[in-house]
Amino acid sequence: MVWTIARQQLLTLRRSGTFIAILATMLLMTALAGFIGWMSHHTIIKVYDETVLLLTAQGKPIPANPFDSKPELALLSNLAIYVPLIGAILATIVGHIAMMEDRASGAARLLFSRPMSRSRYVIGKFLGTTIALAGVLAASAVLSTLSLVIVNMHVPAAGEVARLAVFFVISLVYMLLFALVGMAFAITSRNRSFAIVAALGVWLVLTFVVPQVTSGLRPTTSLNPITDPVSTSQPFFQVTAHARPISVSEQYKRVSASVLQTEPAEPTSRSALRVVPIFGLALLLALIVGRLVARHDYSRGLQ
Amino acid sequence: MANPSPLDSAAIELDGLRHRYDTDDVLRGIDLSIPRGEVFGFLGHNGSGKTTTVNILTTLIRPTAGSARVCGLDVEREPMHVRQLIGYLPSDVRMYDHMTALENLEFFARLSGVERPRAAAIETLEYLDCADLADRRVGTFSTGMRQRVGIAQAVLHKPVVLFLDEPTAGLASCGVRHLRETIQRLNSELGMTIFMNTHQLSEVAKVCTSIGVLNHGELIYTDSIENTTARFPDEASLEDIYVRVEAGA
Repeated sequence: MVWTIARQQLLTLRRSGTFIAILATMLLMTALAGFIGWMSHHTIIKVYDETVLLLTAQGKPIPANPFDSKPELALLSNLAIYVPLIGAILATIVGHIAMMEDRASGAARLLFSRPMSRSRYVIGKFLGTTIALAGVLAASAVLSTLSLVIVNMHVPAAGEVARLAVFFVISLVYMLLFALVGMAFAITSRNRSFAIVAALGVWLVLTFVVPQVTSGLRPTTSLNPITDPVSTSQPFFQVTAHARPISVSEQYKRVSASVLQTEPAEPTSRSALRVVPIFGLALLLALIVGRLVARHDYSRGLQ
Repeated sequence: MANPSPLDSAAIELDGLRHRYDTDDVLRGIDLSIPRGEVFGFLGHNGSGKTTTVNILTTLIRPTAGSARVCGLDVEREPMHVRQLIGYLPSDVRMYDHMTALENLEFFARLSGVERPRAAAIETLEYLDCADLADRRVGTFSTGMRQRVGIAQAVLHKPVVLFLDEPTAGLASCGVRHLRETIQRLNSELGMTIFMNTHQLSEVAKVCTSIGVLNHGELIYTDSIENTTARFPDEASLEDIYVRVEAGA
């Protein structure tokens, strides 16, 4: 029965124009991430080669090639931007559709007059959402690997594949978090439009507002996969900086940078701590959504 | 067909059933017993509490007080068992628009625990003379088509009791006639007890074996159609009887 609910949800998503459009954008951006990485690499190497020629002619010492010490996965650093941007929006919409479709169509009344418990229903929805988002990320992972192989002429070693896998698992949980926000608003809102706008509002706050407040309004902290120190020049930000460890988008960005080796490696225990707020919030939201479904009056339609 | 338990219990029993939405008493203590095999017409004006009664009987909401039983099973204590015995067609039946009729029915058959869901879906569509709708998306259907597929989803697991909430709403006259014939077939051929909320008094007279009249959450009248017409010999139609019953409430 859980699988029946999940399968129906996957069929719905497959036939949803909105989902397909955002999925296509996400995959396109993933493919571009490798290409952009290659472009940056190519440009810097070109500048480096010209500099080498110039320095050689002047008889000056030649510095080391900056890319010789750069891990190959760093070429995919843009992925850590696309997931919180497009991936999280996609997840919010997936979560919204998962819960709203049954309410808006009136099918919920038919569902709950069947011998199916609400816990099975919500587990089915979680399963369908997880499979859908895992599918999106799997496609993204394949594209990323291909871009490393084809565009950057680099076959990832086993360790790199493992790092990519870890990155995509963390990304999956991060996206699930937003899917759960989409679900929560889709259950509680009386109006379909308000439900999606409110959920996207939460995405906006978590992605742009919280990171900037907790880092003293440094704009690079909201998306750029390069860690920026906290600016505590004002008393307000000295206080809000303490909330930085629970800023999920910032923690996601930092753990991704660590896994993809955009930044110098940090101890595994520290990276593990960074995922705690992400996993913790996702778990909390899952419990809240389960509770909301259990208590919701599905006999009433939408306004 | 699902096995009701106990076998000799009434199809529907309401005992002091009450329901309150916020401060509004929607149902004010209803007592009702409907034997198996009846086609029961539940009458009342808008807001009288008919849909709330069906929502309780289909386990969608819990009563504030009193009890409701379907085939002897309490809707609050044994909702899963009750759901195995019932079929339900809401007033504005909507299924998944992007799915075909067959996909919708197969989905609901799986949820009902039907063993061969696809075969059951096809069989039901054929039984209801709408096999031609099987491969068309529900989103393209007219109200009448939706209603036919809606009935198919309600009966494909062969329930003991079928709840229809305003089934004739929005239907053209030919749709109403088709629905009447379907109800009669389901009752006579499959032995389903049918509980129907409706405004269409002319249809009630043609298809129902007994009626109940609900007024502001109170059941003010219930009897068989035969006894009702005998009790009000001066009235020309059920509509006249209904008006007189409501006026006397």
